[in-house]
Amino acid sequence: MPLSIVVPQLGESVAEGTVSKWLKAVGDRVRKEEPLVEIQTDKINVEIPSPAEGTLASITVAEGTTVLVGTEIATLATAGESVGGSPASPVAGAAATASSTEARAAAPASTGASGSARATASAPTPAPAAPSATPASRPASLPVAASVASAYSGGNGANVTPAERNLSPSVRRIMREQNVGLDEVTAIRGSGVAGRVTRDDLLEYLQSRATRPAAAAPAAASATAQRPVPAASGPPGFLGAATAATAAGAREEIVPFTRVRRLIAENMVKAKHTAAHTHCFDEAEMAAIVALRREWAPKLETQGVKLTYMPFFIKAAVLALREFPWVNGSVSPQGDAMIVKKYYNIGLAVGRGDKGLIVPNLKDCDRKNLVQLATEVNDLAARARADRLRPDDIQGGTFSITNAGVYGAINSSPVINVPEVAILGVHRIVERPVIRDGQIVARPMMNASIGFDHRVVDGELAVKFLRRVCELLERPELLWFYA
Amino acid sequence: MPTLTACALGRLPYRDGLRLQEALVRARSDGETGDWLLYPDHPPVLTVGRNPSEDNLRVPVETLDRLGIERFEVARGGDITWHGPGQLVGYAILDLTARDRDLHRFLRDLERSLIATLEGLSLPAGIVPGRTGVWLSGEKIASIGVAVRRWVSYHGFALNVHPDLKFFKLIHPCGLRGIEMTSIAARLGSRAPGLEQVRVRTTNHLAETFGYRALRWAEPDEAWRTAGETAPEHLSSARHAAA
Repeated sequence: MPLSIVVPQLGESVAEGTVSKWLKAVGDRVRKEEPLVEIQTDKINVEIPSPAEGTLASITVAEGTTVLVGTEIATLATAGESVGGSPASPVAGAAATASSTEARAAAPASTGASGSARATASAPTPAPAAPSATPASRPASLPVAASVASAYSGGNGANVTPAERNLSPSVRRIMREQNVGLDEVTAIRGSGVAGRVTRDDLLEYLQSRATRPAAAAPAAASATAQRPVPAASGPPGFLGAATAATAAGAREEIVPFTRVRRLIAENMVKAKHTAAHTHCFDEAEMAAIVALRREWAPKLETQGVKLTYMPFFIKAAVLALREFPWVNGSVSPQGDAMIVKKYYNIGLAVGRGDKGLIVPNLKDCDRKNLVQLATEVNDLAARARADRLRPDDIQGGTFSITNAGVYGAINSSPVINVPEVAILGVHRIVERPVIRDGQIVARPMMNASIGFDHRVVDGELAVKFLRRVCELLERPELLWFYA
Repeated sequence: MPTLTACALGRLPYRDGLRLQEALVRARSDGETGDWLLYPDHPPVLTVGRNPSEDNLRVPVETLDRLGIERFEVARGGDITWHGPGQLVGYAILDLTARDRDLHRFLRDLERSLIATLEGLSLPAGIVPGRTGVWLSGEKIASIGVAVRRWVSYHGFALNVHPDLKFFKLIHPCGLRGIEMTSIAARLGSRAPGLEQVRVRTTNHLAETFGYRALRWAEPDEAWRTAGETAPEHLSSARHAAA
């Protein structure tokens, strides 16, 4: 029975790694502890030693491919076994290659593992099901939607031609995504070293192709791509005008993901794939808080502290979390235990326009008064916008709050900042007609929402928690008695 | 953690630095020595990590040859970078098994130490999530690229103290387009501390962040002896001048 070589655990927040270099070829003899392969995650390149003496029987994941921790990447025939007798048949190998390609397509950022966890503040990420399974069951266990493996599959030795090998992985990825043929790319004049076609060259080409399809497309494709060009003899009128308008500027623009955007995308998908997202909603009359803030904001401003509503939300959330500790925690990386946290590091979603969302957290909020919270909220948000966060700021969060109200929303269904198990959504405070003592009166109302992981937080718990938060906002004097 | 041994190696060609690192990694993983922090002063050199993402050179290869800048492909993480005079290059040869083999925590601790060093100089440095390294209001001031063999780390970080930043124009640093590099001198001008002072401050912060009980400084000879390698002969005088 050959040994399965898998991507090992590389740290609490490391969910995936990229095969950067195979140090041995199929058929090579290796000693125990001899380096087999290099795996890269973030800015670290790790040599993975052989677990035993033997012969490398198969390589199932090619260089440049990103796979989840625990994924099998090769098999080793141990002493006494013949390589040919291993079950790693070409068919199994091909299947593995295809699925790893999909994994790559789904998670294109080779250096994204840590960052993806970090982009939304995080500790262990429950890597969804990646057991060191048998070769037969493994491809199916990858949590990746089945898709058609394209011919231009970034870096798979099996179907990469020598011409393609000259192209960087990112170029090949764009070719795959934009359906660009190899013949088209080889026709581009590359600006890279020795005329290599770079990513920028390809993007530029794609833009010009979108604008002038007939001119840019190679001969083979031009027959179908050719548009009717309004000739002098052709009918003028709206058709011609429409064509002219199109030609004036590209109707579509390809904007490659920034690294931060990729991390956000990965983390959002991860959150939606792992947590059993459920939402419920409540509302709070905010008259007391509005009055408190109106009174205190000018006073604090003279001390240089800007008082927003967020410190009140944090206070209310922390007190409710202390009453319902189960909401303040995370699911273990293995996904089989709940880690209940006895400290309250509250993550705050900070929008940064084009730079993308980030969720740094305020430490030990249970030990801080409202003024301290106000100061630190402002500082944290300012540093997040100025790229001045420290690693600690985005690690170790226990619960998060997101305020879509600052942009005008009156309700939202927020995505949980996994591996946390719940997130509180707060919104715009709006004067609304409500019934008080049988009378219709206007009151400043706010909807509150909670997104929770129904694997560990039951609806009953989530509703009770959210109700308590609203109650504490409606009657802040409760803080006197219970906080 | 017991003791961290730091060592300013003096002027050292990249090739010899690599040889020393690899030998020390072997000695460390065989348990013959403890954790080391090496500070070589490299002549200008370009190094490329595993799987460079793009064509990261901005000038023809001939230009580099004319400038006498060597290029090395190394097994560390990260893309292309430049090392040279005025830069604090730190090689961290640490046993990661003693640190739960948590690679990201290791990177974050490196960042944390460098940020603390810069904050000590009143420079408000920070991280940019997803872009390992240390940044100063949108510009990069320190790069990180690490290799691990038998769970011992090598390579490490490069903090720009007062390098000639024009060298970075030769490349797309770290494979990133439109990245501006900065340095302590570029920000502090005449108030900027020298390389030696930054080395001491950085080392103290690293020893603290990584939780060592003791820190000691060794002479270059000890590093070479421990590694079982010989220092390049012609450099001995330069080394003493630097030490």
